[in-house]
Amino acid sequence: MSLISVRNVQKSYRLERTDTPALMDVSLDVQAGERVCLMGPSGSGKSTLLNLIGCIDTPTQGSVIVDGEDTGRLADARLSDFRNRRMGFIFQSFNLIPVLSVFENVEYPLLLQKVPAKERRARVEELLGKVGIAEYARRSPENLSGGQRQRVSIARALVARPRLVIADEPTASLDHATGSSIMQLMVEMNESEGATLIFSTHDPAVSRYARRIVKMLDGRISEDGSAA
Amino acid sequence: MKTIIMAWRNLLRQKRRTLITLSALIAGLCGVVVFQGYITSLMRSFRDSTIRSGIGHLQIARSPEYFQDGEFNPYAYALKDDEKLISGLAGHPGVLAAFPSTGFTAIAGKGDKSATLLVKAYPAERMFFAPARGRVSPPADRFGLGTLLAGSPPSAGEKDRLVLGETAARILGVTPGAVVTLMAVLPDGGLNGRDFTVDAVYKAPGRDKIFAFTDYATAVDFTGIQGAAVVHVLAKDIRAVPSLAASVPADHAVRTWHDLATYFVQVNTMFTGFLNVIRAIILLVTLFIMGNTMNRIVRERMREWGTLRAMGMKKKSILLLVILEGCFQGIVGAALGILLGFGVSALLNLGGGIPFMADGQRVMVKLLPSGQSIWWNLILAGLFAAVASFLPGLRAVKLTPSECLRQV
Repeated sequence: MSLISVRNVQKSYRLERTDTPALMDVSLDVQAGERVCLMGPSGSGKSTLLNLIGCIDTPTQGSVIVDGEDTGRLADARLSDFRNRRMGFIFQSFNLIPVLSVFENVEYPLLLQKVPAKERRARVEELLGKVGIAEYARRSPENLSGGQRQRVSIARALVARPRLVIADEPTASLDHATGSSIMQLMVEMNESEGATLIFSTHDPAVSRYARRIVKMLDGRISEDGSAA
Repeated sequence: MKTIIMAWRNLLRQKRRTLITLSALIAGLCGVVVFQGYITSLMRSFRDSTIRSGIGHLQIARSPEYFQDGEFNPYAYALKDDEKLISGLAGHPGVLAAFPSTGFTAIAGKGDKSATLLVKAYPAERMFFAPARGRVSPPADRFGLGTLLAGSPPSAGEKDRLVLGETAARILGVTPGAVVTLMAVLPDGGLNGRDFTVDAVYKAPGRDKIFAFTDYATAVDFTGIQGAAVVHVLAKDIRAVPSLAASVPADHAVRTWHDLATYFVQVNTMFTGFLNVIRAIILLVTLFIMGNTMNRIVRERMREWGTLRAMGMKKKSILLLVILEGCFQGIVGAALGILLGFGVSALLNLGGGIPFMADGQRVMVKLLPSGQSIWWNLILAGLFAAVASFLPGLRAVKLTPSECLRQV
């Protein structure tokens, strides 16, 4: 069974009293352990599709099944738990919580799961070590560079051992060299942690880190195939 | 726990804006504390002077009816066991003084002039008339009955002496040393007449036309009444009044100063009302200012709410986070306002206090900011701030996480 099964999904946004379609009849299956890149120009619908897969938005029509759960049927509180336990998010602008230290940011998903303190500490320290920012654990994220912040974001996304990691344009706010190192790290983490990775980009250089590339155009999947 | 920590840290995130938001609450509560200190001080002074104006902390009579018409008909309510009662009360550790009083209605005559008087009789050593110059409070074990204009009040053992009110003395055309004749109806219905020497003339607004004072022993001797109309008790501490009242034998009628000082209670209620209205206005202003600030904060942090929810934080926890942040703002603002209020009060007291006109004299009132209302103010401010944060909090959870994340 697929880890993700998107079936005939449509998504429209209401803008100035008219419905603007963002996704039209999209279907997609992703197997566990895959590394998938959603590629396309701005407005092609890749972020919308990622949001639906990540259960942070709901489709206008169709269904999104993740890890056997029809996410459209889950109540909001259960959906929150579902996201917390099964998914990790990496954002273009890092979206770290400024009032929490690096350590606390990474620890937060485990706190929501009520993981015991000792276990939390060990897991956070392990992740911070893996992404190479252990020495910045007590710092505020505001005192880190863009690349360092994205490393924190990766550690946070993976700390709860999610089955799925969703990254929306993870390198768009970074320079080329930093972006490459971040992608390299994401690939390594994907392999070592065993999570399925879906990321979006419009940069062909970034897409080469995927094993499968799904191209999107005007709200539809235009091409779906293995990376060259 | 983390939610509380996050709410607290968020408060310190933009210190300047937080301080500006809280300035209304700080200034308002500072004003409330100072005003409250002023009112408390005035009311305490008014309360004590009311108690010592002839009421006492407690009054004990033969029956409850005395407190309705006994002052004008004291013979009907003579206590048979007043001496035993007084000696019993004197042994109570909370009692400063227990003493009898009585009174009689008389017509005072001097030559062709006459005046109707209500003569109140207390033991001479329990009567105090303040000197005309300066503002002197009566000793704690005496009644302060007015301001002495001329002469000196009678001492214990001096018989047939009278302290006349300024108005009555003017009507009769007498000064200290003059002799007036008093005619009074006795308990058995007969009439008695006797010459009294005017020892002193006193002044007390609203009282000096009708009330005259004499020593208790003189009144008993003149009227032949057997037993005091009422026994007054002055307590060492006003907080001991309920226990003192409870210790009075059950076959007597007891009234506390609070029951008897109706005018004081009305004035006190009125000022407490003023204070509560001011407090409510300040808290309402806070509600609007804080609601506005929390709205702005919620709008600015939309991406943060989206991120937290994407990580798995539930809507109710986000709502709690926003409300807690508002609560902390309210409590911190209230705490700063109260602290500032105490500081300002201390400074004003160092400068002598706030001026107040009493009986035509300028007196300086020392502020007595009350520690009792601190918690009340803190809780109210926290509650109002929580209410003000509720709607912004709902706004934070109304959108989907992806809608929140799209906000710039």
